[in-house]
Amino acid sequence: MSTEAVAVITFPGSNCDDDTVMALGRLGVPVVRRWYRDRDLGEARRVVLPGGFSYGDYLRSGALAARAPIMDAVEDGVATGRLTVLGICNGFQILCERGLLPGALRPNRDGRFRCTWEWVRVATAPLHWPEFRPGTRFRLPIAHREGAFTLPRAELDRLWQEGAVFLQYCGPDGAVGDEYNPNGSMDQVAGICRGRVMGLMPHPERAVAAYLGSEDGLRFLRAWLASEGE
Amino acid sequence: MGPQDVGLTEAEYEAVCERLGRAPNPLELGLFGALWSEHCSYKSSKSALATLPQRGPAVVAGPGGNAGVVRLWDDWLLAFKVESHNHPSYVEPVQGAATGVGGIIRDVVAMGARPIALMDSLRFGPEPASERLLDGVVEGVGNYGNSIGVPTVGGEVYFGAGYAGNPLVNVLCAGLVREASLMSSAGARSGSRVYLVGQPTGRDGIHGASLLASQDFSEHPEAVESMRPTVQVGDPFTGKRLMEATLAAIATGWVQAVQDLGAAGLTSASAEVAYRSHCGMELDLDRVPLREASMTPYEIMLSETQERMLLVVPEAGAAVVADAVRRWDLELIPVGRVVDEDILRLRWHGAVVAEVAASALAGGCPVRTVPEDARWPRPAPALALEEPAFQPEWLPQVLAHPDVRDREYIYRRYDWMIQTRTVWGPDHDVAVLCLHEAPVGVTLALSGPGRWAAADAWAGGAGAVARAIGAVLLQDSEPLGLTDGINCGNPNRPAVWREFLDLVGGIRDAATAFAVPVTGGNVSFHNETEGRAIWPTAVIGAVGRHDHPTRPWPDRVPEAGWRLVLVNPPTVPGLGGSVWAYMRGNLGAYPRPDLTVIPQRLRRLRALLARLPEGAFCVRTVGDGGLAAALVKMLGPEGPGAAIALEPQALVGRLFSEVAGQALVAIRPGAWRAFQAGAEAAAVAYLELGETWPDPVLSLQAGTQGWSWSLAALWAAYRSRVQAPRPSHS
Repeated sequence: MSTEAVAVITFPGSNCDDDTVMALGRLGVPVVRRWYRDRDLGEARRVVLPGGFSYGDYLRSGALAARAPIMDAVEDGVATGRLTVLGICNGFQILCERGLLPGALRPNRDGRFRCTWEWVRVATAPLHWPEFRPGTRFRLPIAHREGAFTLPRAELDRLWQEGAVFLQYCGPDGAVGDEYNPNGSMDQVAGICRGRVMGLMPHPERAVAAYLGSEDGLRFLRAWLASEGE
Repeated sequence: MGPQDVGLTEAEYEAVCERLGRAPNPLELGLFGALWSEHCSYKSSKSALATLPQRGPAVVAGPGGNAGVVRLWDDWLLAFKVESHNHPSYVEPVQGAATGVGGIIRDVVAMGARPIALMDSLRFGPEPASERLLDGVVEGVGNYGNSIGVPTVGGEVYFGAGYAGNPLVNVLCAGLVREASLMSSAGARSGSRVYLVGQPTGRDGIHGASLLASQDFSEHPEAVESMRPTVQVGDPFTGKRLMEATLAAIATGWVQAVQDLGAAGLTSASAEVAYRSHCGMELDLDRVPLREASMTPYEIMLSETQERMLLVVPEAGAAVVADAVRRWDLELIPVGRVVDEDILRLRWHGAVVAEVAASALAGGCPVRTVPEDARWPRPAPALALEEPAFQPEWLPQVLAHPDVRDREYIYRRYDWMIQTRTVWGPDHDVAVLCLHEAPVGVTLALSGPGRWAAADAWAGGAGAVARAIGAVLLQDSEPLGLTDGINCGNPNRPAVWREFLDLVGGIRDAATAFAVPVTGGNVSFHNETEGRAIWPTAVIGAVGRHDHPTRPWPDRVPEAGWRLVLVNPPTVPGLGGSVWAYMRGNLGAYPRPDLTVIPQRLRRLRALLARLPEGAFCVRTVGDGGLAAALVKMLGPEGPGAAIALEPQALVGRLFSEVAGQALVAIRPGAWRAFQAGAEAAAVAYLELGETWPDPVLSLQAGTQGWSWSLAALWAAYRSRVQAPRPSHS
């Protein structure tokens, strides 16, 4: 695990930025905070887009934040292959809105916000992260109104073929089925990974201690930090 | 425009004229109408509230400010208060509830505190008619709290016919502040500038305080419809930025006073700061940023546009504070200055348009005194309930009752874990938060079923306090303070007025008996429609310091073989006010809590349990649904089960009585002797119930009769309203 600093971006309506910084702090990783109006990420080669309601999200979640100045720097870093990105919840929505990840997060199928503990499993091993082995399970909370991963069927099939379908909601034993789908995501998709860009709806930064319900978030973040092939 | 147009009585109008030495102009009349409203002046409740115990070793700031403040640990303080938003939530449930959340968050922020927790206390009419209202209110609470990033860590919901036209939405917010950053509205000094931050002022919510919150509802739907423009619209995104900007401004050290613009908007904020700071204020209303250019001074002063904050900053600090605010895309707008005389002077393009003493506005409203004979509660009503033979179906029925059943259908729509402090969330009887800032935690309880106060308001008030503090104590926490949300009908009706006094009396007597002060709260009157009032309802919030928050005392029994005991079993397990009685259609009167013994008994139980080894026991207070509900919740859906035996006499009472002070405790077999010995030494009374066993079945033996239920069936009843079926994805 590299000890190089991780940048955490704060948009004006971000509200999981502090939790994310603290979670990374628990893992002993130096964190630099970046403001949405900043135009560069400094030396950081890893960046986290935390959860929240980046601009109030009265339009679509993440739609405005995707056009913030800092996102130019994120896109540049991704294009040149020097940046590793993690988008959590609203951060995932921003990545999709910016076109850095495929698909869209539509309103949950019951139209309501939902905050519950869920199980997710690694569906496909992401190329650059050896510690995310297929079948690995994590117990993580979700907290969102717009988390139903959606895109045309053929494109989702292509994502499967590309190995981009990273995380799926599942049962405690890893079984995948619609009964374990909390929000109506297609194929129970909880997270997507393409190249060095990863996004997921669950909140690993909240699952950082057994007394908070689970430590699996630390395990998740540790695995994310252990990316290879820089 | 006459006094009645702004909600003033003739007598009050005369008092205004007397204070001014002249007749007020229409703008001045509007100011008085707003600040002398029941909602702002507490004119009917002030004298009674003054009788509550307000001092205690932990109290840093008592009632009167934006929120009460208690010392948590070292220089870390907890600011907390409950506030109501009942009338707006009936008129427009989503926005009414959302702005209620926004308002109490701003109150806590105005103390300089960062909000760390919300709890909501809701009351609705019977289902199914109330379902849409509940859905809207829950949506509104969630919209605001989820967006602004403050977790809703618990709450309560009850149903009753009286709430059908008068739903209650009371919200508690708690926030953390270091002593050096503690703010108030009392620090403004002459010569400093007055600034507004936040939303531009619009025409929303004008007369919200005087006409909406301070009057009864009429039965006519069109009348409620016509009130809709008096409800404000919440914008949690601006609320979030305003919260951050205000806290950043305070962190500069330049801010002298902060006041949020809530009820009666700028009128209340400016008069309160001037009055509490013992100075005056001049405002140039033409400098107030407006959403609609054509607004008049009257509309500007009475607008209740949300997400606005008033800051008092000396000239020298203005640039630094403006920078801090601007980071959040907000502007520090100068609108006036603090002056060294008791005046609120309003100017409009240079000309003085109103000039009244700040003390007359904020402190001058004639208040209603408490009659001497109302200082003691009336005798308890004798409403004995007959106890019929036990019916086994009552157990699942009580568990499925709307006042008892699992509330997950509500709380899963709230983000209850953001800020990563929530060790215990809304799936427990109390919330337990760990702090990143200090080596202690916070325990929060919120309680106050109207059923208990329906026939005897004193019993209901005392019961709510005993329950909230009891829940804190039995989570091994030291109670530091209380906040009271009082909700009643029209105080001008003698019966309601007396109910109110008794309710406050019960709170006062119980808080005194427990030696836990009331540091602030809220009174909402006029919760009645066409002369039908709600049950007098005291929503009591209790906060405590937890010394081992990451290891809370468990409330779920882990395995078979544990002994089950009912601690503090009442000699007469009265059923009055209980869910069981409510279900049967004859509520009776809630048994008066015996305040001479309950505080000591609960403290002794806490001390006894604290001496047992960790993991040797689990504990729950007995509340809605009585011992039966507590037992089923302690066992959990998968078991272990339990075999218990009770006396056949008063069996129904033993199972379903909600008498205050009872606790269900399970003891690991190896610790049983230590528990027995400790209980004997500390004179803790208990009734042995039986023990847990591996079968996921609850069996009950009473004399020669026996019954049993599968836990799966009981939990299915308990969770009957939880899971809306998930439609399959196509």
